[in-house]
Order: sequence, then structure tokens, then C-alpha cells
Amino acid sequence: MANIFPRWSNWLPFKIIFCLLVLGGGVSAGVWYYLNPEYMRVGYQPSQPVPFSHKIHSGQLGMDCRYCHSFVETAAYSNVPTTQVCMNCHSQIQRENPKLQPVRDSWQTGKPIEWVQIHKTPEHAYFHHSVHVNRGVSCVSCHGKVNEMDEVYHAETHSMAWCLTCHRNPSEFIRPVSEVTNLDWKPEEGKTQHEIGSALVEQWHINPPVKNCAGCHR
Amino acid sequence: MSKRIFQHPAESQTGKRYWRSLGQLQDSPDFRQWMQREFPQGASELEGNDVSRRGFLQFMGASVALAGLSLASCRRPLKNLVPFTKALEWSVPGKALFFTSVMPGRNGGMPLVVTTFDGRPTKVEGNPLHPVNKGSTDVWAQSSVLDLYDPQRSKEVLFGGKKADFAAFNKELDGLLKAAGDGAGLAFLTDGAVSPTRDRLRRRVLAKFPKAKWASYEPNGKDLELAAAEVAFGVGSEVVNRLDRADIVLTVDRDILGVEGDIASVRGFAAKRKVDGPKAKMNRLYVVENRYTLTGGMSDHRLRLAASRTGAFLKALSIEVAKLSGDKSLNALAGGLKATDVKFKDKWVEECAADLWANKGKCLVLAGHKQPVAVQALAFALNASLGALGKTLEVRKAVSVPTDSIASLAEELRKGSVKALFILGGNPVFNAPADVHWAEAQAKAGTVVHLSLEQNETSAKAQWHIPAAHYLEQWEDSLASDGSYIVGQPVIMPLYSGINSNELLAKVAGVDADPLVLVRETFAEVTGASGEYSAAWAKTLKSGFAAASASKTLNATLRGDAVAKAISDLPAVRLGENEFELVFIADSKVDDGRYANNGWLQELPDPVTKLTWDNAALMSPAAARKLGVDTGDVVRIAQGEKSIEIAVLVLPGHADNSVSVAVGYGRTEVGSIGKNVGVNVFPLQTTADRRFLTGVTVAKTGKRHALAVTQEHGALEGRGADLTRQATTQEWTENAENKDFFKKMGIDAHAPTNFSLYTHPPLDDVHGWGMAVDLNSCIGCAACMTACQAENNIPIVGKEQVINGREMHWMRTDRYFASEGGDEDEPEMVSQPMMCQHCENAPCETVCPVNATVHSEDGLNVMAYNRCIGTRYCANNCPFKVRRFNFFDYNQRSITDLYRWNLISEKGTPDSIQMQKNPNVTVRMRGVMEKCTFCVQRIQEAKIASKVLASDSGVVPRVPADSFTSACAQVCPTDAIVFGDIRNPDSRIAKLKEDQRGYRLLDYLNTENRVWYLARIRNPNPKMPDAARAGSASKGGHGHGGNHEHASSQNGGHA
Repeated sequence: MANIFPRWSNWLPFKIIFCLLVLGGGVSAGVWYYLNPEYMRVGYQPSQPVPFSHKIHSGQLGMDCRYCHSFVETAAYSNVPTTQVCMNCHSQIQRENPKLQPVRDSWQTGKPIEWVQIHKTPEHAYFHHSVHVNRGVSCVSCHGKVNEMDEVYHAETHSMAWCLTCHRNPSEFIRPVSEVTNLDWKPEEGKTQHEIGSALVEQWHINPPVKNCAGCHR
Repeated sequence: MSKRIFQHPAESQTGKRYWRSLGQLQDSPDFRQWMQREFPQGASELEGNDVSRRGFLQFMGASVALAGLSLASCRRPLKNLVPFTKALEWSVPGKALFFTSVMPGRNGGMPLVVTTFDGRPTKVEGNPLHPVNKGSTDVWAQSSVLDLYDPQRSKEVLFGGKKADFAAFNKELDGLLKAAGDGAGLAFLTDGAVSPTRDRLRRRVLAKFPKAKWASYEPNGKDLELAAAEVAFGVGSEVVNRLDRADIVLTVDRDILGVEGDIASVRGFAAKRKVDGPKAKMNRLYVVENRYTLTGGMSDHRLRLAASRTGAFLKALSIEVAKLSGDKSLNALAGGLKATDVKFKDKWVEECAADLWANKGKCLVLAGHKQPVAVQALAFALNASLGALGKTLEVRKAVSVPTDSIASLAEELRKGSVKALFILGGNPVFNAPADVHWAEAQAKAGTVVHLSLEQNETSAKAQWHIPAAHYLEQWEDSLASDGSYIVGQPVIMPLYSGINSNELLAKVAGVDADPLVLVRETFAEVTGASGEYSAAWAKTLKSGFAAASASKTLNATLRGDAVAKAISDLPAVRLGENEFELVFIADSKVDDGRYANNGWLQELPDPVTKLTWDNAALMSPAAARKLGVDTGDVVRIAQGEKSIEIAVLVLPGHADNSVSVAVGYGRTEVGSIGKNVGVNVFPLQTTADRRFLTGVTVAKTGKRHALAVTQEHGALEGRGADLTRQATTQEWTENAENKDFFKKMGIDAHAPTNFSLYTHPPLDDVHGWGMAVDLNSCIGCAACMTACQAENNIPIVGKEQVINGREMHWMRTDRYFASEGGDEDEPEMVSQPMMCQHCENAPCETVCPVNATVHSEDGLNVMAYNRCIGTRYCANNCPFKVRRFNFFDYNQRSITDLYRWNLISEKGTPDSIQMQKNPNVTVRMRGVMEKCTFCVQRIQEAKIASKVLASDSGVVPRVPADSFTSACAQVCPTDAIVFGDIRNPDSRIAKLKEDQRGYRLLDYLNTENRVWYLARIRNPNPKMPDAARAGSASKGGHGHGGNHEHASSQNGGHA
């Protein structure tokens, strides 16, 4: 009796399985790579209503972060400055600059400037700025070298795993509280971040929530 | 090796039994289901209105396919950050600001501190500086925030039901006032809220229009008590109960710890219940009432008696007291009361009278404030004879100004002489007594102007409806029950441009209508300070009240003749053997109907009946048997031509020939929450019979009505005696040295401690959070439940879902009845607040497949919502049944729309409801488990504050003892709940958990709970006939003391 199925069909199941594995692997790899904060978020740089340059203000002029983000040491949120804060200086300088027209409009009309949010914590996670900046976590650790950015972009992933790298090993990131807003700070000559950080962690009894979910999720 | 199955030791069937419901007492199949399953059979099926599970899956497939077509929506939505243009003083984005304010009410203002986030009030707390409430509040104050944001609040001026505006109204008002002349055609009707500014404006209005009529009406108000005080002590006097001074209290038909009292009474009573050892002196409470109330639940001796027999009881008691004291005038007064001969328990009355007389000057008798004036006057006479005047019963100048009654105003209206009627607040068309025929009378007025928070039955029958400003939206003022002057600061601009009654009255009086100016002028008048912005004003706003303004007590004496006359004028009350009386009770939730559209209140289980979303005819088991009805059967209650049909709820401890129905339900012109919920009984109420109606017939109709009663939900294997432990003062004294007296009661006396198979992470934080609940001072008012709901963004689920056992309250107050031999008629009642016990060996944690619920090092059983996949294993394994599951997206759907298919149903929360949410608590979505977190957001805030404070100083960050507390502990009017750090020896909780009365629930399970309960102590009078029934310790099935090994075979058996 002749074979019902031709000979090539012997390999067919294996081929199908192989293709499915490749396809499944590809999809998994794609999801793993693309649907990840590292890909989705890092580099996010929306255009703002006013092309405010942190590089000029913070980097060149050396303004402290807290001049504008004034409540970062007291509140959970680091506030975006009011139009009034912009006008403190810009009522004197760059008065004709067309880029600042929205600021002047806002000041005259009382309508706020609608900045586009870049760093967004998910609704089930509660990040508290003041407890970080008062305990030696620098702005740069989460926001990158903002003082070198013309327009701010998302520099770090802000994923939970990323948070935990510091919560598990704070000594790699902690610096003296006075240097928190100094984004160019380097450990002094002859010392490593680890040495300085370890000493501070011990001295200040740094004990961030590691396994306590409620530290961030309420 | 066989699987080790833990067998709970069986509950004893002898001795005193504790039961949550009659179903449990009779061990009905329904009850067994509630006990054995977390949710009833089928509760996890979507057996809703229109979608079966299969249909649902088909729809789901479709929605996945549709979602695939719109992948573009994967992009993160653009969000804006919108700062102010000019910085606001004090305002820090995301940080709470606190303002003092006041919630005006008929018993005086409730001093408050309002929490606001970015200009939105989200929660109110009591003002901790004010002596009346010391930081505590009640159910109504807690839920008033939701009223502010009610999306169905009145939003616009209406003329004849059509949209108009303030300009048109002002024009009309000018016309009315010009034509008013001396005011003969003007009439005003206000609610009973205490407001000095309104009183002052009233004088201004009456000065301008001397012939205008002014009446006030408050359905559950104290007008009859004021009338009785006027009879007994003279015009313009009112009485103040000083429960904080009374050692012996007798209440007769007065729920003084519930809706018929105020926070001062509750706190005063609780202060006398705080015991730190067996030697501490405790007050004794005798209660005579027709139905179980919170007061009855706290009683040491309780006599159930029809409300219509209150007068007869007081007569019998007065005669007994007169016998002891030789007070002939009291004897004569009591003898004058016409009462049909009623059989009482003579011994009960005798011994009660003896106890009162033995504590002369330290005792207090309280009669129902809606009983006839003569009955209340007799109670005052009795108090005078017992030396209570000026001591436990103070007489002072009345805070509120006497006004006409609603009945006399209705008479005027019927004459047709009223050209313009202003109704400021209230809803008389709905809740005026039936014989006033208010709706008809109101129609006779030329123009009716109704100012109200909501469009209600009265607005529908008024020409003009004006939206009112909520008390959190406008400057107001009030007097606390101690007479101190409180300023009500607004914390948000009026959401819908409403105005308050002060503004309207100022317009009528022709004075500057700026509400701030009006309040400041009153402030100047009351305190003598300057009316302009002054240091005194600033100080008052900061502390919330002006203390100097407390009103003076009067040195009153009883006017015997007037009382005698009132008594002789009162016709005898007859209640035949086969007749029923109908008792109108104020509702613990919707009050007189004003809070009907408040979902938190509708879904709050009544503290005693555990009924939600309804009112019912409460009756005793014997009465129900006689009528052949059971809970859920509809009966017709009729007197003469008038009748209502209402479902029965059988309530143990109810008087047999009595039926109680809560007023305030059956609203028709109201938002969607309150519409047609329950049955309106106001049509049966008359001016003469405000409290009870005799000669009522009750008949079975054969219809059924589903009642959403939560009393059997969350039953814990029926171990009431184990969970709520109590002893009498005598038993406690006898066991004063026995440290384990309370710890080894019930099952814990027998069961050896279980052991844990799991290793647990060390709880090594410097903090350890714990809670203590003092059952001796907990009255069961459920303010904690509402506070928890407001603090933790807990949704409401609707009646249908409550019936399915899906209510979301993180906290419940379990109510147990306890009796020997299954006695349904005279059980004792115990309330027990129940929340997550934060077991150190938490059974829920070990069964979670995804580690969504785990332990924190500071001892919390925490819930990570985003990990939860909704298996509900944790809820199944929780011995306390405190976990709640989001069966639906309650925060996205309206409760009427839960079963609608996802793609066609309306989703989203009204903006105004979103504004109420606490920004520090996640709003949970469908499919996740949730439960009490010990207010972890407050814990984290306190911890963060201590870390910020420590900064780089090298100090160990530690939260100071008792520097913050959980929402339930903060609201508690009796201070029964204490929350804090058990690792801090200075904290209150560290001391309380070592208390002799302290015990933990189901301790034999070795769950190592972080909640300690302090056992209830009853203080019975050993001479009373029912003294032997009080308490339970030595009479409970299991006795106490020592580990009895004989029961261990029941425990840990192998299967």
C-alpha cells in the first residue's frame, strides 16, 4: 500500500514547532525589549510651551535647583515654578525675547503655562521627594544631568527594578546633603562613592524600604 | 503522612451563647452558608441583570479584538503640569492644609478641622482643641464631605422648575420686599441648625418687618424637650445632660448614646466607663426602651417596654422614689399622670429606684425627648427630687430662640395671609407631620422661596428654588453644645454658586450680604472684640472657637404647679393587649431624610439592625411569630385610613406589642442614590404623636421585599463568646490577680497554642504598629466605618451587591447578641469593631500565589494592589473575614451600571467625586483584593517626616509616641480605638496591650494579631432581678482559667 502522506510530511510537525518557537521567542524578545521602560521612557523629550533651557539656567548661570523647585525639600512633589518665579528675573532681562512670550502672556492673563509632564510615577506608587533629598539622594540620581540638558528628557528608566538598585544598595548613591543639588559633585580625591556612601548610610541610619511594599505602594 | 487539617474546637452549646442573628441562633442554612463561605453560593458568578458569564466571555473576546485595532492608544497619554501663575500663601502642592470650621446642627455645631489638598477638602476631623469633642466626630460629620461633592446637588436657581438666575431672583425679591410693608405677608421657616448669625439676622429682619412670622421645624429636634423645660423651669430655659458627672444613669425611651444624643453625652458617658483596673469606679446604666439601641447595648440592666408606656413607667418609678425619699410632691405629681394600669417587673422598678436614691445627686434620669411634654416634665421633677438639678442635669438659658411651630405657620398659610414664604433649608413637604398638611398649606402662599442643598420634595412645590452653599463653602458660625462660639471657615469656593441662609436673610434685611462680614459682626457682638480684622478674630480662626462665650447655667427650681397642670392635661395612653404601637425612630444614617442621597450613609449598616439601603418595621420574634411573618415579609401598618407597606426585620430584644420604623426613607424627589429607598412613614406621624402611635394594626400582605442586611456576613464560626469577652465588675474583682483571666476565656482556656509551619521574616524595624480596641467604651456607633471610608477611598457597591455580600467596608462593627438558652427576647448586646488584625503569622500571606500580600518589617500585613491577580485565596484563608474583593470597577461605574457590558457602559467618576478622593491612597480597580492597611499612608507620612527631620544629623529616625493615629482611632467619640507604636514604651498602645483585659482574637490559631481587644465590663446591680444574666465570664460555656487538656483532641486532629 502506498504511503498516504508523502515523505516530506514527516518533518512537518518539527518545522511547525520550530517556526512557532522562533515566532514566540521573537514576540517575547520584542515585548521584553520594547515594552520596557528602558525603551518606552528613556529619552522621552516632549516639546514644552516654552523652550526652557536647564543648561543655561542651572549649568551656565549656576542657579540652584531649589530656586524654582522650591518645595522639593518639604513636599512629596517637586513643584514646577509659578509664572511669578520666571518673572522675578524676566521682568528685568530678556524682556523682548519672543520665546518668552507665553510666560509674559501667562503673567498678564493669569492663565498658567501648561508644561508637559516628563517624569510620571504610576498611580499606585508614591514617591516622596523630600525624604530623598534630605537624606542625601541627589537630583542627578533620578533625573540625570539636567544641568547639561537644553530641554529636559527622561534620563533614567524609573522602573521598579531601577528604584530597587538604590534601595538595596544606598551606599552607591548617597552623598552629603549639602551636595544633593550639586549635579556635578564627585567624591573627593582618594575616596570612592562606596566609601563615602557606606559611611553616611551607617552614620545616618539609612534604612530605605526594601521589602516593605507599603513604603511606596499604599 | 496525612495532611494536617486544623479542626476548630467546637463552640459550646451550653451556657451563654453569642449570636449575630436569629439565623445563627436557629442555625439556618442561610447562616451556615455565610459562615462557611467567604461569599455566598454564586456570588462569584456574574448573575446580574443582563449578562451571564458565557455572554460575558463572548463580549470579552470582542473587546480584545477591538482593543487590537487601536494599538495607537498604547502611547502614554500626554499629561500637563499646571502651576499657579502667582504663588498662594501656605499652599504647597501635594501637602495638606488644615482649617478649623464647624458643621452646624440641631444639637449645636460640631467643631471641625478640615483637611484640604490643593484647595479640595477631602476629610473632616474633630477639632482636638475643643472641649466638647476633643478631636472626635460622628458619622454625619464624616460623610458631610460627600454631600459637598454630590454631583446631583442643586446647581442652579429654578423658577417654576425652569432654570433662572440670581439676577431674576433678586429682582423678584426686591419686588416682594417693597410690597411687604410691615411684613404682615412675610413668613419664614428655618431648620433647627444653631447659628448665632442667623439669629442676629432674624432680629434684623423682624425689626424691619415686625409683623413677619417666623417658625422653625426640625423633625428629630428637641422642640418637645425645650417645651418640657419651659414647663418645668420657666421660659427660655433648656437642660444639659452631664453624663460625665452621673454614676447612675437611667434612660427611658432615649437613645442618648445614639441618634438621640450628642457627642458631649457620648463622651461624658464614656469617660465614666474608662477603667484601668478592677478597683476603678464605673457608672451604671439602666435602660428602658422598646427596641435595641446603642444605649441599650451599653446598658447594665435593660427593660424592654413599649414606648407608649414610658409615662406609666416613670409614674411607677417616681412613686417608688417618693416612697424612699418621702417626697410628697413628687408622689402627687406622679399620681396625677393618667396611665392605664400596666404591669411592670415590680422588683426591677423597686431596685432601680433604690439605686437612684442611694446615689442622690450623682444620678440622672433621661426621658425620651419626643415623648409628650408632660412625661418629660415628670422626668424633670423626678430628677429634681433625686437632687440631680445643677449637678447631673444643668439648666441654662436656651441657646436657640423660641419660634412658632410649623403647625401654627401652616394655619397662617391656610388663611391666605402669607404673600411670601421663605423656607431656609429643610424639607417640610416630605417630613412635616401629616396633620399639618404642609404641601397644601404651602400652596396657599403667594410666592414660595426654597433655599436648599438639593432639589427635594419641597423645592418641587416652590416657585423659586435657590441652591444653598454647603457649610464647607461659605462663612458660617454656630455654638457648640457647651455654648462656645465657633466660626465656620469656608475651605472651597461654592462649587455651584450657592448662597447660604445668612446671605439670603441679609438681603431681606437690607444689610451688606457678604457672609464674612455677617459672621464677623456676630463675632464682635458675641465676644465684644472688634468686628474688623483683629488679633482676637485671627486667634479664633486658628483655634476654631471663642471659649469665653460659653453660656451661663441658671439656678433653676422646679415649677411644681406648671408640671402638675401639664401632667393632668395629658390624656391617658391606651395600648390594648392585641394592639400594636408604631414608634417613629430617628434614623442613624439618613436622619430625617436629609442625607438620603449620601451613598456612604445609605450603605452604612445600621449599628443595631445591620440594615443597609432600607428602613424596615422592627419587631420582636414573638410579635413576628404572632403575625406569621419573618424578616423580609411585607406587612401593612395601618391606623384608620392611613397605612404603609413595609418589610419586617425581626429584632431580638424588641418589645412585643411594638413596631419601630425609622423615618427619613421613601424620598421621591432626590438624586439617584436615595430615590425610592425604603418607605416613608411621615404620613402616619402627627403633631400630637411625634414618638408613637397607638391603636395600630399590623397585617401580613404576603409580599416579600429583599433587605440588604449585613449581620450574618463575616460570621466567624459563631464564636461570639470567644471574640467578645466580658465579665461583671464582681467577677473581675474576684479575679483581679489572675493575669490570664480574660486571655483564657472560652476556647483559649482549652486549646493548646497552635504552631507555625512557616518561617517568618524578622520584624526588626524600630517601629511596630498595633491597635487596641476597648470594648468597654466602644458604643458601636460606626463612626469609624465612615471615617475609614472617607480616608481610604472606599467605594459604595449598591444594595444588590450588599445582598451578595460584596460590601467594601474595610472595617465593620460586628454586633452580637448573647443570651442563655437561646432567649430571643432579652439578650445582651455587644458591638465589636472588626478590621484586619495584622497577624504577625498572617494566614493570608502564605496562600497568595503572587506575593501580593506580604509582611513589612514594622509589622503590617501589606497589600500590593498591582501584584494582585484576584485569586481570593487570601480572603478564603482569613480567619477574621476582613478582606474585601473588587468584584466590579466600583470607582469607574455607577452602582446601577455594574453589569453592563464594558464597551457600552458609561465609565468614569464624576469630577466632583474625584475631588473627594484622598490623594495619598490608591483608588483600586476591579479584580484586586483590599483590606485595612492601618492607614499606611499616615504611617508613611509620619515615618517620612521623622526621616526628613533627622536628615544628616545622625539621629535615629523615629516617629514620636502618639504623634499621629489612624482614621478610625481619630474619629472615635469614646476614644475606644487606640493606634500606635508598640515598640515605643511611651505610647498608649504599649501600655494598653499589657492591660489585664487585653486579649487577641482566636489566639489559639497562633496568628499573633497586632490588634488587642480590651474585654467588656458590665456593672450590674447585684440586687436587680436580672443581675444574674449580666456579663458572661463564669457562665460562658467554657469557663475560665488554666489550660484544660481534655479539649485538645478536638484540636489539630488528623484526617
